[in-house]
Amino acid sequence: MSKQNAQARAAATAKVAAEAKRRERRNTLLKIAAVVAAMAVIVVVGVIAGTHKGNNGKVDASAGSGGSGSYSLTVGSKSAPHKVVIYEDFLCPYCDQFELASSDQLAQLAQQGKVYLDYRPFHLLQPAYSSQALNAFAVVLKTSGPEVAKKYHDLLYRNQPSEEGPFPAMSKLVDLAVQAGADESKVKAGIEDTSSQKSWVDGATQAAEDAGVQGTPTILLDGKTYQSGSTVPQIAANLIKALS
Amino acid sequence: METAGRWLRSAPAEWLGLAARVVVGGVWIWAGVAKLADPYGSAQAVRAYQILPWRVADAVGHTLPSLEVVIGTALVLGLLTRGAAAVSVLMFVAFIIGISSVWARGIQIDCGCFGGGGYDPNATGHYPWELARDTGLLLLSFFVVVVGRTQLAADDLLFRRTTKGA
Repeated sequence: MSKQNAQARAAATAKVAAEAKRRERRNTLLKIAAVVAAMAVIVVVGVIAGTHKGNNGKVDASAGSGGSGSYSLTVGSKSAPHKVVIYEDFLCPYCDQFELASSDQLAQLAQQGKVYLDYRPFHLLQPAYSSQALNAFAVVLKTSGPEVAKKYHDLLYRNQPSEEGPFPAMSKLVDLAVQAGADESKVKAGIEDTSSQKSWVDGATQAAEDAGVQGTPTILLDGKTYQSGSTVPQIAANLIKALS
Repeated sequence: METAGRWLRSAPAEWLGLAARVVVGGVWIWAGVAKLADPYGSAQAVRAYQILPWRVADAVGHTLPSLEVVIGTALVLGLLTRGAAAVSVLMFVAFIIGISSVWARGIQIDCGCFGGGGYDPNATGHYPWELARDTGLLLLSFFVVVVGRTQLAADDLLFRRTTKGA
């Protein structure tokens, strides 16, 4: 065997080996790409299936008996260009954030005829205070009219207890009602009997459920859920800006 | 450093890798399946952290369940092990950042407001435990990334090496 032949054969073998290695590397990459693609498809299918599941958080404010506004505290004129519906719980800390960041400004916008406000508090959170405050609110709404009720609503949020307690006695809720302008003799008994407005409380809560509300606060701007922002105060600020 | 490198390629390391893989993968599958039934709840849970804009939080919340199941399955099977483990590491980093953020801001993500189906009066008390748990799982995932090859992995079937040093 001449040296040249041996060298040529070595080179040829090396070339074949290099080719095989390159082909294998490409095959490996293709396999990886295929598996990743399959995984991506599965994830996408999962997402699509998820978004079609259930009512997916769509809230219909006109659904059920709540649609007639029978459990609403309204502020402003119905002919305003925008309508805002706010589902909230008197104990919910995020509702508190929203209210503290928006109630005055929204009321002002309503006064200017720019928005029709529809507050729909209901009973979502477990602690008893949630339904007690709602009961008290219903008493004030029924006996003292919407203006006093709105003041009471704002005072309840300004004096919201922590979700873990301690919770105020009903006499404190009576005091707040008087502060809002209610006649003590008209509201005291109803507030202290925390089930005096049970049918209203249950009705308001059922109406929220019928509408598809799943959490609080749920804010609807002209029928569509409004969520622009990362935090609740941001959402409040953005809503006010959108209505101004 | 070299002995460490050699140990990482040894059989005991590959068995440990298998254990780590299956534990982390199992946790992902269990977490993902639990969320699959309630995609809207999953989206609300992400929103509760109040970090991402709500539209992004929604998208993340909807994607998370399926992603968790896919990554979990890949790890349990040992399919694209290193890549799946790397994704797992990134996800745990994100969760740790999220929980640290709500803890630092005093936010109670289990307030019940977001319809999570239950109010937890001691939500903030759980944060340390959740951080510890996620850090442990992060370290296990990282170990799998470093080990690369693990025992009884689907990768061995799929990527059989026929040429040397590939």
